[in-house]
Amino acid sequence: MTHSDQPRDEQIQKEDRRLFTRRATLIGVGQALAFGALGTRLYQLQVLDAGRYSLLADDNRFNAIPLAAVRGRIVDRFGVPLATNEEGYRVSILPALAGNLELALERLNQLVPIAAEDRARISARAKRQAPNLPILVASDLSWEQVATINLMAPELPGVETETFNRRNYHHAKVMGHIVGHVGAVERFAMGDDPALRIPGVRVGRAGVERGSERSLRGVSGLVRREVDARGRIVRNIARTEPQTGSDVAVTIDLEFQGYLVERISRERRAAVVALDVIGGEVVGMASSPAYDPALIVPPPPLPPEQPRGRRRSLRTGHKVVERKTDALFNRVTAGLYPPGSTFKIVTALAALEAGVVDIRDRIDCKGSFTLADRSYRCWNRGGHGRCDLHRAIRESCDCYFYEVANRMGIEKLAAMARRMGLGQTFDAGIAPLSAGVVPTPAWKRGRYGRPWLGGETILASIGQGFVLTSPLQLAVMTARAATGNMVIPTLVRPQAGRPRPPFAKLAVKDSHLQAVQRALRAVVDEAGGTGSRASMSDLGIEVAGKTGTSQVSRRSANRYHGSLRWEERDHALFVSYFPANAPRYAVAAVIEHGGGGGSVAAPLVREVMAELLNRDPIRKPAISVSPSEPLNGADVTATPSRGRTPS
Amino acid sequence: MNGDGVFYRPPPGVIDKLGELNWPLLITLSVLTGVGLAALYSVAGGSWQPWAERHALRYLIGLAMLIAVSVVPLRFWLKLAYPAYGAALFALALVPLIGSEALGARRWLPLGPLTFQPAEIMKVAVILAMARFFHGLASPRLSHPLWLLIPFAIVALPMALIIRQPDLGSAMMIGLLGCGIMLMAGVHLGYFAGGAVMLLAGIPTALPYLHDYQRRRIESFLDPAADPLGASYHITQSKIAMGSGGVMGKGFLGGTQSQLDFLPEKHTDFIFTTIGEEWGFVGAIVVLALVGMLLAVLLGMALATASRAGRLLVCGAMLTIFIYTGINVGMVSGAVPVVGVPLPFVSYGGTSMMTLMFSLGLAMCAWVHRSDRLQDQDWRW
Repeated sequence: MTHSDQPRDEQIQKEDRRLFTRRATLIGVGQALAFGALGTRLYQLQVLDAGRYSLLADDNRFNAIPLAAVRGRIVDRFGVPLATNEEGYRVSILPALAGNLELALERLNQLVPIAAEDRARISARAKRQAPNLPILVASDLSWEQVATINLMAPELPGVETETFNRRNYHHAKVMGHIVGHVGAVERFAMGDDPALRIPGVRVGRAGVERGSERSLRGVSGLVRREVDARGRIVRNIARTEPQTGSDVAVTIDLEFQGYLVERISRERRAAVVALDVIGGEVVGMASSPAYDPALIVPPPPLPPEQPRGRRRSLRTGHKVVERKTDALFNRVTAGLYPPGSTFKIVTALAALEAGVVDIRDRIDCKGSFTLADRSYRCWNRGGHGRCDLHRAIRESCDCYFYEVANRMGIEKLAAMARRMGLGQTFDAGIAPLSAGVVPTPAWKRGRYGRPWLGGETILASIGQGFVLTSPLQLAVMTARAATGNMVIPTLVRPQAGRPRPPFAKLAVKDSHLQAVQRALRAVVDEAGGTGSRASMSDLGIEVAGKTGTSQVSRRSANRYHGSLRWEERDHALFVSYFPANAPRYAVAAVIEHGGGGGSVAAPLVREVMAELLNRDPIRKPAISVSPSEPLNGADVTATPSRGRTPS
Repeated sequence: MNGDGVFYRPPPGVIDKLGELNWPLLITLSVLTGVGLAALYSVAGGSWQPWAERHALRYLIGLAMLIAVSVVPLRFWLKLAYPAYGAALFALALVPLIGSEALGARRWLPLGPLTFQPAEIMKVAVILAMARFFHGLASPRLSHPLWLLIPFAIVALPMALIIRQPDLGSAMMIGLLGCGIMLMAGVHLGYFAGGAVMLLAGIPTALPYLHDYQRRRIESFLDPAADPLGASYHITQSKIAMGSGGVMGKGFLGGTQSQLDFLPEKHTDFIFTTIGEEWGFVGAIVVLALVGMLLAVLLGMALATASRAGRLLVCGAMLTIFIYTGINVGMVSGAVPVVGVPLPFVSYGGTSMMTLMFSLGLAMCAWVHRSDRLQDQDWRW
């Protein structure tokens, strides 16, 4: 390079520097923009969205495991245990801790035989649900097995043994329809209580177990623990102990119930219920065919000579074996029948209250009633002649009730039926309960999309047509007619210190109610009464009642009872209360296809009443269960060992 | 150099050169490393073991190396440029033959008792070779397409070898670095615009050739919620950690995500997440500001350097830090796909620390010798 090049060299240097300065500015601005973008992204993440991510971090960090509460016991009105709990051992596996699930199950299989299908089910379930939820492997372990598993615990990661409670039923043959049973949670029922998702948890599926589920279940507990990314427990944050469910005392007298079941089982299909009209307590209810405890199969006990033999795994509770039978069906609460002439109690009260007829008014019965070119027959073809209310009820004259129902219309009749407890369910602590049908024009439009016909009012007046009631509802109707109170039936004794509120008044004019009551007494104890076979005058007890013979098939109208097939025969019904002057019990009975109410149902009710009189369960002191008290010190909160606790 | 007595100054000694060191750079660097130490102490559950202590030791060794590199005459490093590049390329070529495999990729080469990643060395070698090449290139030829083939080859050859390892992250790093240096050297901007267009058009073509895990990472970046426990677990957990930190953070040692192991690679690539979780938005911005300061100091150093080679060496170090930081922070905050890139001086990791320190050493060397014009004949052997 020569001196002469120097100025040109300088020129190039200068040019070069200017170019570099431009590029440096460019890259500087570029870098600033990039960092600005990163800062913006951080602002979005850490300032704007911080709340959402905090929740996600806590979800990561905490896991809550519900603890099942022990179910309350069920006892009869004098304290005899009907449903109790038995402790058992079971083993479950936590996939999050198990690592290789197949390997863990294989190891566990050495100690507790696991069937291949169970293993497949466990694997499938592990894929479906969160790894932090335990999966039940086997129940009914022996104490030795539990001890071995715990001894081998270091080689069995994620395997946990625990105690659980199994339901035991006593006097199931007699009490089964009432107590019911527990079973697995239906999928749709999950969600409201996290405890329902605990593996193997049982809930009431029928009877008092289901109807009083809320009291029996108790309150589930919760362990909140902090876990790391592998699901390992870092520490327990808090533990809320579960609260054992309340015991439930049913209103049933076990001994009387035993009699009732024995008596009713002589009938092919029948239902009978006895109600305390003062407290509304059901002291006995029986349904034929009788409950068969063999249909509810508890896990068979392990034969002692077979220490590691075939074991039923996973069947933690009682399994209902499906068979072609309706023995599990409680006809008293769930069966529905046309009430027949027993419904005339409702029609009579409704007519008097509506003012369409007076107590002394007479209506001429010529054996049939004609409306819109159709004639409606009285059961007495020859006609009853001129009847007032008293005679119409006593002799169950149909024409009288056709006429008064036609005068007042269906709406007033339906309103009275509801007031008498029909067409509705009660919070009686038992399930399922059928509501039955009290038909109205609106109901018919909704159900069939057709307008109401006048003739349907006529049929309803004698408890036929659309009207459907359960035996329990008939007993309630009778109790309301007997006392003038809005008796509400129940199967559960009130808890100690929480007496039931008194029943509301029926708000029916006294003279009307007394007229009906007098007529009901006449049904049993006056000459010409249809229910004379229920009379207990020999015992010095006055009984009031009403017969009902509800027609199932048209053929029964013209033919002799014995010439009909069984399923074509009339249902025999009888409702009654006694003692008539100071009512204590109401009894309702339905004998399916039994024939005439007065000839078949009334004698049955008489037997039941005699037994009731003999035992008089409501006179004896019954127990009241005390409501379960919350455990003290339920919340144990651990202090975090280091760092700040997020608020 | 002419021997004109009037202008002659004796060459500066080592002591004089130490006085010329850029102290703002060293101080910013130390503060940034200090932040990294605190974070490493925290992710170990409040312990110097196993990361923080070694990180500090490496920093001190690296600092000594930086200073040692910076006092050596600049022309010596430039003389070494091509041979070093050749050696690095050779080592890269050896990787598939004798390299050791880890996690499905062959990246490490044994060197006596130690192992090293030739790809990391290549990052420095590319800076050196590019600086050397562009320094010798006369200004009019800067944007000539034929002359540009050479720097293109300098970048493309190692990229091709590294992609085969496979190590998409390092290959991209070298590519971006090469582009950045060409930009700073003054290559016509039209090339960069054209390259960007070609790249965008080329991505759909390249997708079928990517490894499964690479494709999964890109897919999971596009929709992290689709597969929360699979490939996108990293992104999801990292975002949860940063987001739950909020403005002020959960406090030192208080990051639940980091402390409870929800974060993967929490001491290396995801260290910034821990900082974001425990020190919040404020802490994260402070770290970004420190890196920004480092970049600003380096840009100032480049502007003050007389020779093109020196300027490009400084720019090389600056770009390395910028690209690392940008990709890393973008990745942990879910703004770019997961690529295994550390956060400079904060992430735990020996190789990246040494590479960065060496790069900074070269930059510091350029700064110390900033008035040296480096005539062409200065580095002939």
